[in-house]
Formats: sequence, structure tokens, C-alpha cells
Amino acid sequence: MQQFEEKVESLLSIPPYNQPPAERQAGLLEILKEELRYSCQRHAGYRNYVQNWPLDYQSARQVADLPFLPVGLLKANPPLSLVDFNEIKRTLASSATTSQMHSRVVLDSATARRMTKGVVTIVRDFIGSSRRPYLVVDTADFKGAANTVGARGAAIQGLQPFASETTCCLTLDDQGDLKLDRDRLREFAKDRQDCEVLVYGFTFILWNHLVKPLMAEGGCLNLPKARILHSGGWKRLQDQAVEKEVFNQQLARTFGCSTDRIIDFYGMVETVGVIYPDCSEGNKHGPVFGDVIVRDPLTLEPVAAGEHGIVQVCSVLPTSFPGHLLLTEDRAQVMAYDGCPCGRRGISFRFAGRIPKAELRGCGNLQINRSLVN
Amino acid sequence: MQNSTVISMTALTHQVTSPAEISCAAVKLRQAVLETEISPNDVMTVFDSWAKSLGTHEFDDTPGIPFLRMWLRRGTLEPIIARELGPDGLYGAWSEHGRAQCKAFPVGVVGHWPAGNVEIQPILSMTCALLGGNAALVRIPSGLLDLTRALMEKLVESDPAELLTRRIFMAGFDHDRQDLQEAMAQAVDGAMIWGGEEAVLQIRALPFPHWARVAVFGPRISVAAMDAGSWGNLDEQDTWCRRIARDVWQFDQQACSSPQVLYLEKGSGHSTAQFLAVLRRAFETENQAHPRRTIAAALTSAICHARASWLLKDTAHQAVFPNGPDWTLLLGSGSDLPQPIQGKTLTVLEVDNLLDPISRFDGNVQTLGLGMADREKERKLALLAGKRGVDRIVKLGQMHVFVPPWDGVDLIRPMVRMVRHVSSAD
Repeated sequence: MQQFEEKVESLLSIPPYNQPPAERQAGLLEILKEELRYSCQRHAGYRNYVQNWPLDYQSARQVADLPFLPVGLLKANPPLSLVDFNEIKRTLASSATTSQMHSRVVLDSATARRMTKGVVTIVRDFIGSSRRPYLVVDTADFKGAANTVGARGAAIQGLQPFASETTCCLTLDDQGDLKLDRDRLREFAKDRQDCEVLVYGFTFILWNHLVKPLMAEGGCLNLPKARILHSGGWKRLQDQAVEKEVFNQQLARTFGCSTDRIIDFYGMVETVGVIYPDCSEGNKHGPVFGDVIVRDPLTLEPVAAGEHGIVQVCSVLPTSFPGHLLLTEDRAQVMAYDGCPCGRRGISFRFAGRIPKAELRGCGNLQINRSLVN
Repeated sequence: MQNSTVISMTALTHQVTSPAEISCAAVKLRQAVLETEISPNDVMTVFDSWAKSLGTHEFDDTPGIPFLRMWLRRGTLEPIIARELGPDGLYGAWSEHGRAQCKAFPVGVVGHWPAGNVEIQPILSMTCALLGGNAALVRIPSGLLDLTRALMEKLVESDPAELLTRRIFMAGFDHDRQDLQEAMAQAVDGAMIWGGEEAVLQIRALPFPHWARVAVFGPRISVAAMDAGSWGNLDEQDTWCRRIARDVWQFDQQACSSPQVLYLEKGSGHSTAQFLAVLRRAFETENQAHPRRTIAAALTSAICHARASWLLKDTAHQAVFPNGPDWTLLLGSGSDLPQPIQGKTLTVLEVDNLLDPISRFDGNVQTLGLGMADREKERKLALLAGKRGVDRIVKLGQMHVFVPPWDGVDLIRPMVRMVRHVSSAD
């Protein structure tokens, strides 16, 4: 295990997007095989799954040949775990999904530590390493219950290493709804026109609880050096007919900064420590300690550049749960397998939303609801 | 003649946009029924000609066409008509029943709501109503518009006298056009509804007239079963496995008659390992012959999830599948009926006694496909299966053969009225 830790540490200590793809693939393949071996030793069910995979992973020549786990399996109750109960430090829970069932992933100390380092390594590549005043567009109770943290809390906490001080500018009103604390916000913005500040909020929260209220007043925070990160997806804003371009323009106007200081990133609790910020070209990239494979639904083979497919995420960071090779329920388009104009090496891709829910048709579509009776 | 054919073709299949179009069409259809009586024999004459016209290369790759051609033949339909309408029903004659006479009359205009996953279902449903002397108002699922139009072109060519074509109106519209669905329901005297639970419930709830006869062919699943005498017979394993693969492949396992699980009854001295290896080869062969051309990403996701879930759940479970989502065999034991996955995912379960899983059926199983060496056991299974709601007990390889009764009901009889006349002179 020590050798494994050293290999992972070395990946976390180099710039995350500089390694040529072939070198990255070779390195990842070796580490992921070790993680598969480890996971098979620690979980009998997972071992059974891997043993029944069509290809023996030990003879795999590329990461795409390794057995992936559909992300839906992380909704199991109790959560899938590779560690003993007393080693679990925290459990991360996803936001409610269309199925209303949460994913839950367990973190031991080692995975939690790698998770923090992973996020820091990635974010540093986009905004630099210095600490700065941190405005959280959320309430102060993002930490959640002692041992369980939601997606919002995980994202907020993930950026704490970049904070010199933290301010939360939302509260809950009497009905339990989010409300903008204008005093707090003004206090944060006061005398910081020349400062780098970091801002984070869930996409729909930023829009509904910061941008819209301030737009209505014609307000501007006058923070031209703000770096605004947001995540959480666009579905809710699409339901409100708000396009990304309009969102960015209004958000920039609210802060008094340029739109290129706004970074949308994709993250899932299941991909602990790996987030996917937009680069200057509007693409996403996989870091050196993780990769992304976009699979053709018809063949499950990696798609060609320009094609769409189902997203699989790969990461060497988690060892407390089998989250190193996950087939998600998202779609993406591969822009290129290298050579993004932003300068980051390896795959560049763009998310294309959730896999559309299957339309249940036909006379054989029957969910067996009744229990079997004698 | 050519001009007439072109006009007739466009007159049969319509992109409908208003309730008035449907109401107007129904009026004309009802008039056609009232003006001219046609017998099943008259209908079969046109069908025979239509069947021949479908033998062109144009339909080589269309699933279900060989079956449709067979279905339309007099040799197939005559026995069905004789059974459902009586021997005199063939020519539309009165038949004697003691002091009374009985004759089949059409209900009038029959609405058809076929499912979208069986390519020839709009046609199959329509033919059942036409054989009863009815007119047909058919809603065509959006994915089947082009094929249905092509098939109906052939009917137009085969029916120069417009005996049948003037009794048909095929309407294309989105299933969520509630106004058009309601207009169609209000305009008919009978309905044949096919499909999954959601569709069936929605259509059943439409405002049909109180006199309308409604036949519902709702969601069901199907099951296969074999005794050791069959699956253990080395000389016949190849044949049985080919039959199973064929039943799984058709309709991408989405039909009510598609087997979702195969129960193998254990036999002393027999190991299923050999049989499962042959079954795997049969699936590989069938996949090479009939590869999938498209797939919804959601189905791929469901297949991958089913594989992982099965194997994680129980370390005694095994699975066989290729790199892609083409097909899957999930292997285990037990009598529980697993949740259907479809997409050519067959759960194979070893059981001590086939009577056990069958005794647990709850009315959701439509077809039991069997491979049985023990005839006496098969009789017991058939009896038990019938009691437990199964409507068809057939040989493996024939699970999709569309022959009435279907879902426990006749196909022509529900859409006719058997009229009884007792002479006033008696």
C-alpha cells in the first residue's frame, strides 16, 4: 500500500494537465490495476463482478478495457465499502436525483486526504494557489451533519484551502427558504475592489438567490477581480429558460467582472477529489490522476473525436469504496484526444446532459411490483 | 389505375392535426360498413393477394414480415375464423342453433392503439377487426409511420376494388395530443389497445362511448422453462438453445411474449455447465446474424447496471456477456421472478422443481415457453400455469407466434356481435 500511496502522491504533486496522453495512460493503467486487486481483496461481491468480466483485467492493455462499475451501484444501502466500519470518517451523499435515491460514498482518512489534494491541485491550475477572501453563496450550515456531507457541502469545503477567510451570504427565512443577506454581502464586498476574491455557489442558487435579487435592484458588487466558480448543473436553469451565455453575462455584471473570470465545473460526489472545470475554450479535461472515457452506447467502445457517448470517469484517488472506474449516467462529446488550444493535454470533452430517460413502450414493459404470492 | 393508386395511398395514411379530421373520417368509415357487408371470405381473398405482394426484397430486413405474410394467408386465417365465428361464419351466413339462427355482425368502427415496439402490430391489429367486417381507425406510433405506409401501399395495390381500403383510416399524431386521442375514442364502436402499463391506462381512460367493446392487451412478461430431460439431452442442446436465442432476439426482448427468465430444473447426474456453454454460443451466433443497429443509451445503462447488480448481490451468481451491451446471461438459482431488464438480458435460474416458480406466478406472465421431455410433467405444468394466469403454453422457439387466443381472448370475436334471431313464426 505504501508504494501505491507514493505513486498517487507523485501524480498529485505534478501539474495536472501537462502529461502526454500515452504516458498518462500507462501510469494510470498500472495504478488502476493495483486498485482493482485491492478492491477485489476487500469486497467479495466486487471480486465476483470483476471475475465475471469478459476480459481478465490483469492482461488489459488500456484503461478502457478495465471493468467499470455503473454509478447506480453506489446507491446501495448500506453503501459499498472497502474499509471496515470503524475506518469510515465521513460519508458523502449526492443531491437528490431523478430517481430520488442518493448515492453515498464512504471516506476513510486516506481517501479524504487525497480528495482534498485532488481538488486543490485542479483548482490551482485554474486560479493559482494563493489564499483569498472566500464568498460562499450558500448558508453557513453547509457542513451538514457530523458524518454526512452533501454535494454542496463537499464542493464548498473543497475550496476551503484557497480561503483566507470565509463569508456565507445566504440565510434561511422563516419558511426555510434561502434568502440573501445583503448586509453580509455588502460587508464582504466593501473595500475589496482591488483584491482577488473567490466566490462559489451552486449554479441555480447563484442565479436565483444572488443574481436575480441584485439585478432587480440594479446592484453591482464592484469586485472586478472576483473568481467565480459554480457547479451543480444547468437543468434547473434550463427549466427557467436561462442559457449559459445569459447566466455568465448577468453574473459578471453583478460582480463587476469579466465573463472569463467565471468557471463552471462539473463534479459528482462519486468522483471524490476530481472536478472538471471549463477551460478557456469551454472544454473539460481529465487530470493526470484520473481520466475520462466516453463510450458509444451501442458497443461500449470509446468514441471517436467529435462523437457523443456515455461518460466513464476514472480516478486513482478513492480506496475506501470502489469508485476508481465508474460509468456515469451522463453524456458527453469528445472534442479531441489531445491538443486543446488551452494547452492542457489529454482528452477534452463537453458534457451533454443526462442520458435521456428511456420511454417505456411496448407490451413487455412491466415492472414487477407485487411480491410473489403462493 | 396508377392515379387511383396514388390517391388511395395518401387517403389511407394521414398526419392528423385536428379532432374534426378524425370525426369526419369515422363518419365515412361507418358509412362504408353500413353500405356494404363483407364476409371473412371476401377479406381473406384480398389478404391472400396482399401477402403475395409483401414477398418483395423491399421488406427483407423488416422484422415480422415473414410472419405477417403467413398470417394473411387463407390457410392460417380460415381455421381461426371457423373456431371463433363458427363454420358458417366464413361466408357471413346465419348458422342454425336449435330453433334460432346466429350471425356475426361487425361492431362498426374499431379503433386501434398498437404498441410502438412491434413493427407489424398496427397491421395485425387492423386485420383482426377487418375480418369481423368492421372498419379500422388506426393510430400509428410515430416510429412506425414509414413502414406502415409502405405496407399499406401494397394493400392498395392488392385491393383495386377498394373493398378493404375504403374501410381503413390510419392516423399519425403524437401520443400526447390528448384532444386527438379523445376524438378517436369518441368516434369508435370498439377498441383494440396494446402496450405498456402507462399507455394502456391512459388509453383505457379515454371517453369511449358506453357501448364500445374494448379489448386490452396490456403489459405482460414471459418465461421459459426446461426439464433436465430436455436441457440435458446432448443431441438436442444446440436446437433448444437456438430456439431460446430466437425467442429472446425478436423485438429486442420487449414484447409481452419475450422470455425474460429461463428456469432449468435440476436433474441428478446433469450439470448445466455444458448447456450454458451451448446457450452462450447460440447467443453469439444469433448476435452475429442479427446484430443490433441502434440502442438507447438508457438501455445500455440498464444492461450494465443489471450485470453489476447481479454479480455484486450474491457471490454464487455468475454472468456471461460480451464487451458491449449486445446480450447478457445472468446465472443463478431460485424460484423468484427477477425484474425484467430486456435488451437481450436473460436470467437463467436453476430450480429443484419447475412447479415451484410457476406456482408463484401472479397473473403477469403471458407465455410459458417449454422444453420438456417429461410429457406428464408438462401437463401438470400447463394446468398449474393456466391456474396462475398464464395464457399461452407453447414450445420454445414459438413464443412469438401470434395465434388466438392471445392474452386469453379471441382476436376477431370480441369485435363482432353475435346476433340471434328466433323466427316469429315459431
